[in-house]
Amino acid sequence: MAEIGVERVDYIRVPVTDIDAANHFYGELLGLRRNPNSPADDWVEYETGNVTLAVMTPHTHDYEFSALPPSTIALRVADVAAAKAKLEEAGLEVADMWDSGACNGAGVSDPSGNRILLHRRYAQYPDGTTP
Amino acid sequence: MTDVQRVDFIAVPTRDRDRSARFYGETLGLERNPNSTDTWIEFETGNVTLALVTPADFGMDFAPLPFGSIVLRVPDVEATKERLGEVGVEFQGETWDSGVCNGASFFDPDGNGLAIHRRYAPYLDGATP
Repeated sequence: MAEIGVERVDYIRVPVTDIDAANHFYGELLGLRRNPNSPADDWVEYETGNVTLAVMTPHTHDYEFSALPPSTIALRVADVAAAKAKLEEAGLEVADMWDSGACNGAGVSDPSGNRILLHRRYAQYPDGTTP
Repeated sequence: MTDVQRVDFIAVPTRDRDRSARFYGETLGLERNPNSTDTWIEFETGNVTLALVTPADFGMDFAPLPFGSIVLRVPDVEATKERLGEVGVEFQGETWDSGVCNGASFFDPDGNGLAIHRRYAPYLDGATP
């Protein structure tokens, strides 16, 4: 499709400062499947269903950590309110749920301060399909 | 545990939506999602949607994606690097070889960290990308 032949996104890099805390968040609290091909203890890959999140520590890769901008990664959940409640039960702070008129969202921070968006579109797309 | 189904989109922050739309649509050649509106433009990569977001619209300060945030699979990193170089894209450093993949890092016009990438080694299960 592309002039340069982009085939897909191989991974989204998620920089973190503490890999153990990140593994707990992405693997256990969000429940993402850890990719068995993860190459190293400081580069752990998680699968979301359509794209890989490469959770890694910049400080062991020779550059400085800076967090992803707010709501870079929008994770589709079945029900934002239910997901928010579950994460709050686990002790996380989740922001108030918003309603854009087409979707609901609520932000939650990973232990390194990357702001993740729990997201669900409820409105149909212009072509009549729904997520 | 949360019931994550997929990533709906990756937000790409921009200070100039039109310039970004040209970069992702024309320079990188990504398909514009027909469900895009004038103020919410999405591009498809094959597996995940990239959404251009103007933080000012949401009352937020602009901050770019860090180094190497979105890693695009291309058939041949060197060939792609050359083509993008011809249209003015500047790469940061040399093409890397991790022992299993090649990659090269660059930035979009807002300074968002992107990379082109190709794994050449098989995965543990013997599959290849």
